[in-house]
Amino acid sequence: MCRTHPSEPSAFITSGDSPIMTTRRSFIQKSIQGAAVATSGGMLWSYLAIQNARAEPSALRPPGALPDADFNALCIKCGRCVVACPYNTLTLAALADRAPLGTPYFEPRQIPCYLCHDIPCKAACPTGALSPTLDEVMDSRMGLAFIDTEHCLSWQGLRCEICYRVCPLRDQAIRVETRRRELSKHAMLLPMVLSEGCTGCGICENACPTEIAAIKVLPAELIQGKIGDHFRMGWTQAGGATSDPEPGETWKGQLDSAKDQGHAPGLDYLNAPEY
Amino acid sequence: MELSRRNFLKSGVAAATAMAVGIPISRIASVAAAETEQDWRWDKGVCRFCGVGCGIMIATQDGKIVATKGDPDAPVNRGLNCVKGYFNGKILYGKDRLTQPLMRMTDGRFDKKGKFAPVTWDQAFDEMAIQFKKAYEEKGPTGIGVIGSGQWLIQEGYAMTKLMKAGFRSNNIDPNARNCMASAVAAFMQVFGIDEPPGNYDDIEYTDTVVAWGANMAEAHPVLWQRVIDRRLGHADMKVVNITTLRNMTSEGSDLEIIIKPNTDTALLNYLAREIIHRDEVNQAFVDAHCVFCAGPTDIGYGMRATDKFAFEAEKDIQAREIEVTLTRDEAIGLGLDPEQVHTIKQANAATADRHWLVGFEDFKTGVEPYTLDFVAELAKGDAEESLDAFKAKLVRLADLYADPKRKMVSFWTMGFNQHVRGTWVNEQIYSVHLLLGKIAEPGNSPFSLTGQPSACGTAREVGTFSHRLPADMVVNIAKHRDITEQTWKLPPKTLNPKPGSHITKIMRDLEDGSMSWVWVQVNNPFQHVANANHWLKAARENDNFIVVSDAYPSISAKVADLILPVAMIFEKWGGYGNAERRTQLWREQVPPPGEARSDLWQILEFSKRITLAEVWKDQAIPGLKDEGFEEGKLPDVMASAQEMGYQPEMTLYEALFETPENKAFAWPDPVAKGHDNHTVKHLGVDWFVEKALFEEYAAFGRGHHHDLAPFDVYYQDDVRGLRWPVVDGKETPWRFNAKYDPYVKNGEIEFYGGAMKELVTGNLTGPTTEEKTKFPGKAKIFFRPYAAPVESPDGNYDLWLCTGRLLEHWHTGTMTRRVPELHRAMPAAVLDMNEKDAEERGLKRQDTVWIESRRGKIKAVIETTGRNRPPRGYSFMAFFDESVFVNKLCIDATCPISKEEDFKKTAIKIYKV
Repeated sequence: MCRTHPSEPSAFITSGDSPIMTTRRSFIQKSIQGAAVATSGGMLWSYLAIQNARAEPSALRPPGALPDADFNALCIKCGRCVVACPYNTLTLAALADRAPLGTPYFEPRQIPCYLCHDIPCKAACPTGALSPTLDEVMDSRMGLAFIDTEHCLSWQGLRCEICYRVCPLRDQAIRVETRRRELSKHAMLLPMVLSEGCTGCGICENACPTEIAAIKVLPAELIQGKIGDHFRMGWTQAGGATSDPEPGETWKGQLDSAKDQGHAPGLDYLNAPEY
Repeated sequence: MELSRRNFLKSGVAAATAMAVGIPISRIASVAAAETEQDWRWDKGVCRFCGVGCGIMIATQDGKIVATKGDPDAPVNRGLNCVKGYFNGKILYGKDRLTQPLMRMTDGRFDKKGKFAPVTWDQAFDEMAIQFKKAYEEKGPTGIGVIGSGQWLIQEGYAMTKLMKAGFRSNNIDPNARNCMASAVAAFMQVFGIDEPPGNYDDIEYTDTVVAWGANMAEAHPVLWQRVIDRRLGHADMKVVNITTLRNMTSEGSDLEIIIKPNTDTALLNYLAREIIHRDEVNQAFVDAHCVFCAGPTDIGYGMRATDKFAFEAEKDIQAREIEVTLTRDEAIGLGLDPEQVHTIKQANAATADRHWLVGFEDFKTGVEPYTLDFVAELAKGDAEESLDAFKAKLVRLADLYADPKRKMVSFWTMGFNQHVRGTWVNEQIYSVHLLLGKIAEPGNSPFSLTGQPSACGTAREVGTFSHRLPADMVVNIAKHRDITEQTWKLPPKTLNPKPGSHITKIMRDLEDGSMSWVWVQVNNPFQHVANANHWLKAARENDNFIVVSDAYPSISAKVADLILPVAMIFEKWGGYGNAERRTQLWREQVPPPGEARSDLWQILEFSKRITLAEVWKDQAIPGLKDEGFEEGKLPDVMASAQEMGYQPEMTLYEALFETPENKAFAWPDPVAKGHDNHTVKHLGVDWFVEKALFEEYAAFGRGHHHDLAPFDVYYQDDVRGLRWPVVDGKETPWRFNAKYDPYVKNGEIEFYGGAMKELVTGNLTGPTTEEKTKFPGKAKIFFRPYAAPVESPDGNYDLWLCTGRLLEHWHTGTMTRRVPELHRAMPAAVLDMNEKDAEERGLKRQDTVWIESRRGKIKAVIETTGRNRPPRGYSFMAFFDESVFVNKLCIDATCPISKEEDFKKTAIKIYKV
């Protein structure tokens, strides 16, 4: 007798038409987009032709997708992964979409990957474009989340951390660091992404409550930096604790080894009489 | 907001220019935004959600809220909000906002079996009055009821209390706060003789230790938790302890996490008391000067019905425990009985559970003596995978923290203590620990009961909207309190009903057994939030009764109602809230209500116009009433004495109770409004300031009586961000009972001056031994309370614990937060958090949809094993915000027999794959 609300959110929650949502800024952005389309009609088709010739690098692929070149070579655009996905996460790219025509991709702000433990999309793939060697869905690397700290509520001091709360790999893919705010007696709880654990499922991007998501997922190569191989972070190496040595111990090791120093490069040059 | 054509053109030009010269669009947009914001009106308000009571600022333009911000001047939150608070401005604008009265109709007439159709306010009130009179004539004042709220504005709660108690002479008014902090209230009254905490939030910045007992502050009190974490980051000695039945977000900010079994907090607190005594750390001077020791009966039942007439077949085995129970081995040990013997106990004190008497310190010592480390560790260890030694070490560490005389201690607790079949006891026990140590009523030493709702304190408790209460801590069953109230309200003597009415669970039971047949619900969703919902949903729809629900959105309660009245929400009316630290905060109406929606206060006053004094102030039957000066089972006809006072039988309750000459003296418009509107006044068509008049009338109860509020206008001053009562000589009181801060302390440095229950007979742990009463003014009570097992525990059939609670993203039953698309997207459905190994053992995996079944019903839900809450083996958790995963269909409606607050934390369930 007491039937519940329809589970479809659109049946009872607001659409984006409340007065707060339509800001002048988004209005302006829309006008610009409109203007761009209107004035660049001539260029549009050539742009699309180029876009479809190579993989659009911002497209997120299903779990287990091979690197782009291999994926594009193997994917026969059959759509079986799309059908297999129980959450309707995947779409086959249409002409103007992010990904090459006919290949599967997903947009996490619409529907993220919910990381089914049996990975039905991969199981449905007839060619191995979605790698049959992916056993654990949590090992998949569809992309990498990153936080726009200027627009993240938590980074402004508010208590949100929704990305962290909804993350299926909390503390492995996203952790929260606490810091004093200094402006008041309230600490900040700051979410941070850990690339080692992030699958790129996009559940965080989907859940982010800001108007435009302040956490987004993109292919890792688009956003991830790299520290030069010539440098190692001492405190992350085995045995390389950062705790201060006892007084007197500080440079002992170095001094001892200095005694054993033999012939040093450059000495010949320095000691040579010519100048 | 709409952009004007001129602005649109301007911004279009600006954007085109920006494109050409490469200026970032965001900079152009911010210039444009600043221009728009020039016309916004900013004013202060209070967050709509939890008991923390964050200040916010609200910007309006053209009758709409266009933005909000955390109030940078609010001492509670200093400009911050949580993510719910961030959306304050959006909760008013859900798509399905109710904007006209809706009634169940067939062929143009009310029909209980009909479908909802729009009606006019006149039609609505006409039918409401017809149905009221039918129930009232037939069953008297006990046949009607009101379910109110800790989210009621102060004035709304006050007006409804007056209408019910003075007008209808019914005490069947109870707020949802009953299920939130009634246990805290009962303990405050029994221990201190006055409600609400001695300390305040500033204790966080003064303390060395925060212990969260059954309080997931990281999610349920989000901004306050930031203060705890900040203290931890900035104060080297600060320690945070989380005592909980499952790993939760609060564990992450804690130095010590202690996972206990349900209900064993009572044993753990006795262990602490025993340790304090054995370590010789009792603050003897403090205890001698300021405390007495007490005990009470233990055969008090579990607040269930004494009959199984209405129970489902599967409920009957648990129901029987209300009559008689065999003690568990641990209970026997905890009571100092021989555990090898069988102890079968009749629940003889179920109706008199609040009795207590004085005992000596030696009795107290004897009481806590069985609670050794070995006994308590074995009993309380909640995580099967933790070693007993590791758990013991944690308990010792906890005792070290409390017993250290140099260490300041704040204990925070909330629903883990309050929603507990021994909720009053466990509240009392934490005071016992603090009182033994003298760690109370001074900066940094504070046992502090956190409240859940924005005005659980301000309205439910201070106004006294409970079935046994009157304003300013007075109660209906004390003749002197009734006299004071009758005089203040200018009522004929004996108008007020001395018999406490039905608490919220009992109102539901009354609907089911037919003893009540007219109920009005305001500002809450009881048919979703009261436990054991299947009974009450059926009673609402299938019994011969009339249920009115005032709500802003179509809730479950609205759905099972007969009449739905659309309400003005928070910032669409003048009002006030009081937070957990006794801070009263008032705001102005910011925007008009939509459509035909009207404030709850307007609804109360309009309905009161439809009832005359002759209908209510005649003699009335009150089954079971026995009180000095009253004929048994009856309230007298007071019309004759009323006429002597100038009342006429045909006068309406509106005229007699609300539109009094004193109230009419508060003129509207009023300069304090600063141009803000008042739609309550507008729709009533009056020229007096209803909210101000009622606030001042109510404040008169507390002024000079330990509950002083400042004058109405003071709260609206630009430099005021709420004031912590008592406000005496223009000064708020940060710490009560301490002469340095509290002007009411007259004797010595510390005085627990609360006046209730400060005269008792004396006895020992088993009962009173004298009839002579001793007075002990100014003292607090240290109670001995034994361990008691939960009424229902997992067994071979129902083999898992189920606990319910809140999450950060949603407020209570989600009627508001689920209308905010962003919050809904972030947390669209409630899931069952359980241990991965428990799932595996049942052949289940994360994301599987399962049936969850208890003795009371079954629901479907998705299981989660890697969520934010990580239950130990044998335990599970589900939030209650989601009506499509209706967890209260499962929960047991047992209560603390003293406080009548339900225990939502301990239901036995089983789960199996769909």
